[in-house]
Amino acid sequence: MTIFRLGEQRPPEPRRIKEDVVERFEHVFEIDPDLMRTFPQQHLPAWDTHRIVASRWDHLDWMHAHFADDVLSTGLESETMGGHE
Amino acid sequence: MDDAVVDELRAILGDDDRVLPNVSSRASRTRVPAPFPVHRWAEFMPDVAVLPVSAEEVSQVVKLANRLRIPVVPRAGGTGLSDGAVPLRGGICVDVKLMNKIHEIDLEDRTVTVGPGINMLKLNEELRPHGVFYPDDPASYPCSLVGGRIGTGGWSLLGARFGHTRDLVISMQVVLPTGEIVEIGDGGGRKLRKSSTGLTLKQLFTGHQGTLGITTEATLELVPRPELEFSAFFAFDDYMKAYRTTGALTRSGLATLAGVVLFDEWKLRYLRRDDEAYIPQPPWVQAVIAVAMYGTRAEVEPASKRVMELGRAEGGKYLGDEISQGDWASRHDRYATPLHGRNREGQVVPMSWHCEDAALNYSVLPQVREEWHAIVERYIERYGIFDDWGMFCYTNGAFKPWADYLVEIDVGIWEQQLDDETWAGWVACKREIAEVALKYGGSITACHGATREGDADLVPTEMGSAWEVVKRVKRALDPNNVMNPGKQMLDEAYE
Repeated sequence: MTIFRLGEQRPPEPRRIKEDVVERFEHVFEIDPDLMRTFPQQHLPAWDTHRIVASRWDHLDWMHAHFADDVLSTGLESETMGGHE
Repeated sequence: MDDAVVDELRAILGDDDRVLPNVSSRASRTRVPAPFPVHRWAEFMPDVAVLPVSAEEVSQVVKLANRLRIPVVPRAGGTGLSDGAVPLRGGICVDVKLMNKIHEIDLEDRTVTVGPGINMLKLNEELRPHGVFYPDDPASYPCSLVGGRIGTGGWSLLGARFGHTRDLVISMQVVLPTGEIVEIGDGGGRKLRKSSTGLTLKQLFTGHQGTLGITTEATLELVPRPELEFSAFFAFDDYMKAYRTTGALTRSGLATLAGVVLFDEWKLRYLRRDDEAYIPQPPWVQAVIAVAMYGTRAEVEPASKRVMELGRAEGGKYLGDEISQGDWASRHDRYATPLHGRNREGQVVPMSWHCEDAALNYSVLPQVREEWHAIVERYIERYGIFDDWGMFCYTNGAFKPWADYLVEIDVGIWEQQLDDETWAGWVACKREIAEVALKYGGSITACHGATREGDADLVPTEMGSAWEVVKRVKRALDPNNVMNPGKQMLDEAYE
């Protein structure tokens, strides 16, 4: 069970990972706020961000199960993240 | 619309709640997801919407429309990427959403018979306990309806393996533009896949964009539910390497190949900007290929090894299981994607998604890609409300994935900024894109339909010497031009 604590709902300060992308939670990317001056990004409490991410994974898992009994994995990690050979 | 007509519709349907002359019901049946001249919304509203529950009700409504010369516009999910369901001249919107029943599941002859208002996702939920599957899989899978798929002649993500909508509809019941109810199949049998009797009419009633009638029932193909799914995404540092690899994969002869998708450099630029799977990708990634297979474990497991060999033969790098599986699963439902783009200053603005499609042969893909992007770039510079979201090329031939492709250029449009001048600019941009498709021996649309100004005006050009035949067919079936008038230049049939 997740316990809601108001003090934990303020997301951490963003960490810049690219010229135009920031990250507050691991693997959750946000557009650089400087690029959202015309239409500002709304403030999300931490629980809502986690809910959206979890529901996205639920959705993708559901789609796999909908289209086939099983998904074949290669067991391989990404070959693009370690630099270009 | 005269109140007497509304009263007559109420008498036909026998239920006031299914005859909707109010503004909100009409306004919500005006546009589709494709970009729309929002500043002219009222011009495209139907005068009344009706929700029939039977072929007989549809027939009576169409007969009334004929008697009074009122336009009829069929509408199913309203998820089209062109204007098939958009009323151009008001009239009666026949919304088939309540015709959503499964009439029969036949596990002996492998068919399911349904009303046009059922959705494929819901249908497959019902079919799953029986171990069968209806494999029509558009990017609007969770929200489009069978009737719209038939009217549009839709394309399926899994078409290389299982066929597209027109290959999956075995027969149907259609209300003709004059109101008669007819059974249309391959020959006479409702569940026959192949016949040589008479004329083959089935294809005529698939993909007509609501101009030749309204499908009120359809008998569809059932395939064995796939045991196994395999998807693999490969990254390339050069578009031409990815292009050649796409060719090698599609010519591989692997029968379980469901689809191959080629993402170009502009698409990668867009995804690296806004998609969580691609934001972390290194700059050398310039093109990506997605491959998907479905079938029995005995087939897919060995075939997957061949896919991994072919995908890497020209230097492709595997994107890993997490991205391959996650991104592929997301392809079944692109309508859930929040849409935003960038203006010329790089600022994020809300944009709707225009997906301009064409059918093109493999040999011309690289050249068309350069010319299409050059066109869009000019319009971005001039108007400042468009954004180039890149191109996809998807295998397009049912069971024959090697030679032609559904080619799409995705363009974001800041709809709130549209006025007469910018809309005219967009229409001109669309026309230029379609002209390039024709110049290279292609078709101006592979699946969305040529029903929107800008490309619709080129339908006679594309049809060439067959255009006279098309006009004669339209005039013969719809003598009063009541069925979705103004679409595909078919008004020329009455000149």
